[in-house]
Amino acid sequence: MLSPKAEQVIHDYLNLPFKGIPGARAPYFNNARQRERGQLRVLVGKGTPQEIVEEAKIISIQYHAGLFDKQGDCCLHNAHTGKPVTPDDLRRFLIDHSLGIECSGFVTQVLRAHYRETKGFDFVKKITATPRAEIVRRLIAWLRPVENINVATYANDENSTLVRGYEEIKPGDLVIMLKTGPRQEHDHILLITDVQGKTIHYAQARAWSREGKYDHGVARGTISITHPTESLLKQDWQELGYNGDGNETYIEAKQANTLCIKRLRLNT
Amino acid sequence: MNFQPLQQSLVYLIGSTIAAFLWAPLLTKFLYKYNITRRGEFDPTLQGERRHKAGTPTMGGLLVIVTVTVITVLFNWQRRYTYVPIGAMGIAALLGAADDLLNIFGTKRRLRNVRHTIILMKVHKRWYMKLWYALTIPWIGFRDLVSMFGSKQGRGIQVHEKLLLQFGAGAVTAWWVYVKLGASWQTINFPFDGSLYLGWFIIPVIIFFVMFTANAVNVADGMDGLAGGSLIAAFLGLTVVSWVEGRTAFAPLNATVVGALLAYTYFNVKPARFQMGDVGSLGLGTLLAINAIALNKTLLIPFFGFIFYVEIFSVILQVLSRRLFGRRLFKMSPLHHHFEIMGWNEEKVVMRFWIIQAFMVMVGVWLALN
Repeated sequence: MLSPKAEQVIHDYLNLPFKGIPGARAPYFNNARQRERGQLRVLVGKGTPQEIVEEAKIISIQYHAGLFDKQGDCCLHNAHTGKPVTPDDLRRFLIDHSLGIECSGFVTQVLRAHYRETKGFDFVKKITATPRAEIVRRLIAWLRPVENINVATYANDENSTLVRGYEEIKPGDLVIMLKTGPRQEHDHILLITDVQGKTIHYAQARAWSREGKYDHGVARGTISITHPTESLLKQDWQELGYNGDGNETYIEAKQANTLCIKRLRLNT
Repeated sequence: MNFQPLQQSLVYLIGSTIAAFLWAPLLTKFLYKYNITRRGEFDPTLQGERRHKAGTPTMGGLLVIVTVTVITVLFNWQRRYTYVPIGAMGIAALLGAADDLLNIFGTKRRLRNVRHTIILMKVHKRWYMKLWYALTIPWIGFRDLVSMFGSKQGRGIQVHEKLLLQFGAGAVTAWWVYVKLGASWQTINFPFDGSLYLGWFIIPVIIFFVMFTANAVNVADGMDGLAGGSLIAAFLGLTVVSWVEGRTAFAPLNATVVGALLAYTYFNVKPARFQMGDVGSLGLGTLLAINAIALNKTLLIPFFGFIFYVEIFSVILQVLSRRLFGRRLFKMSPLHHHFEIMGWNEEKVVMRFWIIQAFMVMVGVWLALN
């Protein structure tokens, strides 16, 4: 298991801490399309659950009064329709305002809580996000560590080592997919949260195409090791009741140029 | 103590209040007639609870600017001391007026960045256009740099253009102080009999204070009554200081501003009959700085304009925090919006800011007289 605080962070992403209305799952948001630079980290898909909620309140109060009251309490009423606000309404609001979390941002925030609790340090300051020769980039990464950690950072051999056998896998390890997707142009990462016998539990932030515009977000899934001597792609991937080619996370793993399980050197 | 200048100042104060009250309905009618009002479609903050502010006339600051200018030009004949403050206020007010009008009636401007300009320079067939693009690159670079720290504007005068014009107003003031007012203004006075000779270095100091104060008042003008009430306290403090120090030109000028501001704030408290607009905030911010500099109280401007300085520093810190660390320092900036989002109503924020401003002006007056 990850540490209790790390599990709490995952729980908070799955149930954003909006006062009075549980069950709003953090949507997926990736800044690759909007390419915001120098923005608030919550607006580039790297924020904590609390930051997402706080930013939603600010945006709501600034532009769309009615979703929150003046004390920031959520969803007492919906001024536009008069109907009670549901978690789905909240999620729509978040997605319409580009609020959410992306895969590496999610992993970073969870691992940050994990390492703070178990090892007592802030792991983002110990990870190498940029080549040592690039002074300016290193300065930016020092100022804004979370925003400068991406999947490639985790995949970098300076930061992580390969996990070669399924029996060695432990919570905090990462399933890394490099150059994946139909055009093999993006990377993806899953965080292993628990290992129970031959079942690996993971959590991730992702957007499945079948979920459309408003249903994506943070999710949990499992990989059952049914063929211990074979590759990850030969195992049974389950998520939201889908497996095999119905499971888009599995499809993404299949499309990846590189698919591996890695462990942060800090975790060894 | 000579009370005659004080009595004279009070005459100016009462006179300008009455004058401003008398023509305020005409101004309101004029602003409504030509539809010089805040437009909801251009301003995304005019939704929800602030919806009622859409349609409120803006450029109400003309009430103060015009009243002060007319009364000073007609009655305060110590031109050696008044023509530059009024002139610089006029320059800043004109800039603000242009911005207000372009914000309402202007079209969205398409601005190219440095990268785009370099591409155009490379691909354009005509040599003189290539030359033009090459020559404008530093200016566009300056604009890109400024836009990193400011909000994105589609219409109106852009931040970098404003800065240039404000620099002009600051330069006029600096020239006046350095060349016309005499050598004693090249020394900055500190409270408790301290002083520092700056020589020509006083010029950039003055330009900085004029630009900074004008923008500070501009930033603080975001709630009904906030800027108006705070400016009353500031100019009242300057009136007292100029009277006590025997500056017979500035006491009436500051008193005239207080009088006009009283009438303005009467109409500007919530729900506002009209709003100040950039014409008023930039003009009066410039005048505040110049009048304090003219009294040789440059270092006390942050006390006389305390709330404005707090507001602009909240913006600067928020932008730095956002750009450098990716986090908010305040829930929103300027600071009055932070409290608004915390659940304070507008009246509470404004009145508390007035009280803090009044107190700090009193501290400023005390320091000025020591």
